[in-house]
Amino acid sequence: MNFQDFEAADFACDESFQRYCLEENDSDILFWESWITRHPEKKAAVLEARYMIEVLSARQGNRLEQLKHLKDGISQYDLLHSALEEPSRQNTPAPARKTGSLFKYAAALGGILLLAGAIYLFSRNNTVTDISSPKTSMVVINAGNDPRKTVVLPDGSSIILRKNSTVELAAGFNEVNRKLTLTGEAFFDVTQHAQYPFIVHTAAFDIKVLGTVFNVSAYAGSHQSETALFKGKVEVTLANKPEEKIILQPNQKLTMNVTGLPAPVNPFKVMPLDADPVNHKAREIAWVRNRLEIENEPLEVIAGKLEKWYGIRVTFADEEVKHYRYSGTFESETILKALDALQLSYPFSFKMVNGQIIISK
Amino acid sequence: MSYEEDNNIHWERLRNGDKQALFALYNNTYSHLLRFGLKICGSDELVKDCITQLFLQLWTRHQSLRPVTNVPAYLFTALKRQLLDQLAYQSKIHAAIHRMTDKEAERELSYEEIIIQVQQDEELKQRLQQALKALTPRQIELIRLKFFEGLSYEQIAAQTSQTVKTAYNTIYDAIKALRKMLK
Repeated sequence: MNFQDFEAADFACDESFQRYCLEENDSDILFWESWITRHPEKKAAVLEARYMIEVLSARQGNRLEQLKHLKDGISQYDLLHSALEEPSRQNTPAPARKTGSLFKYAAALGGILLLAGAIYLFSRNNTVTDISSPKTSMVVINAGNDPRKTVVLPDGSSIILRKNSTVELAAGFNEVNRKLTLTGEAFFDVTQHAQYPFIVHTAAFDIKVLGTVFNVSAYAGSHQSETALFKGKVEVTLANKPEEKIILQPNQKLTMNVTGLPAPVNPFKVMPLDADPVNHKAREIAWVRNRLEIENEPLEVIAGKLEKWYGIRVTFADEEVKHYRYSGTFESETILKALDALQLSYPFSFKMVNGQIIISK
Repeated sequence: MSYEEDNNIHWERLRNGDKQALFALYNNTYSHLLRFGLKICGSDELVKDCITQLFLQLWTRHQSLRPVTNVPAYLFTALKRQLLDQLAYQSKIHAAIHRMTDKEAERELSYEEIIIQVQQDEELKQRLQQALKALTPRQIELIRLKFFEGLSYEQIAAQTSQTVKTAYNTIYDAIKALRKMLK
């Protein structure tokens, strides 16, 4: 069908478009979202059609956003629950703040419209149990020869390490700091944490973040280091000019020449990301991205592919789940986001234990 | 798996503490509950909040939930109770009691009443009312089946004994007319 010639009324009467507006079907949502970005000239007609559908359906739809509210509410509840079960475990220096918001939550639970003002302090959902143990010493993680290795850090952040790259978590990571040192290249998806900023050291610069997605390339022996930001905000401090701080905005990157010679006047450059003309995705993370396509395959087979793809071991706790079938295409997600997405079409659980992912019913 | 069996399985899993089953049940029943709620109170925000609240309560009480033979019916009743509590809370109790206990018939809001009530903007309410008056009863009926009840053109055609093409054209003309008047 040629949607190019569509006007508002044609869109409004199209059943696939209606399912997209009412968020009834994931493939319609995907189709229309990408069609609309490819046809900005149709924006006015699309908006008008959406508006008509919104009015005539009495504002139904909205399922995904509401589902998110429910999930947030439940993870708040679970946190409250575990906090009440172990009231004296906390010995971190900010207990007042924590209990404050938990009580706010408890009050809201009894009241009404709890989710209108959901507290996002602990927004990460808890399906992933992490590998923390108290008073950790320094941890070194090396990707070795795997093309990609996925690691979930104790604070819930995930990293995809590129071949032959290494990260070193500082002693007490997630207990007294969130500092790590990178040699090589990695893609970061950092969870928010009010208490400790997430800091990446490299030979050429330090990057300070609060909750964001970015890629860092800092190979030993390479003459250029680079950090590319996709979401959120980061602050870069140059190793040889610590007084200067550079704030990057999303879709910008900072490159820096590491010559070993005395620093020239402008050792670094900030520029937009290098978009691929075909699919508009940034080339900086082509190594993470290469598509992984799954077409109606059982989870057992998918697990094998994910294992290779993300460089992390995936095992099963239940026989039955192995036979669930899924379809999907993955691009720049981390393995956790990919599994989250699969869960949406048919539910299963997974958790992270000792550096491997365990899938169960 | 049928819709019914599906929901029964989710329900049993939920009772055993499976969070994913709760979300699956939510996705399965969301649009039905939303339509049902809109007919009671005509406020999409209130209905959506009550649905979230309802599922949150299912989760917090999952250990004490009992087996249920008709899961959607259970959810409808629970949502209705939830909505009535909320309406009472918002001192809309009179209208609600009237609506719910009216001996003559449990009067549901009509489609036109619902789509006008959920709009917040007074001016738009007026214009929508005018615009709907300009449509034929047939057009309004088909628009309701399409956009509110979410039926496909095939289902509408079968239900109203006409061809898919006629159903589509009737709705298309109605949309064009409404667009003009709402602009």
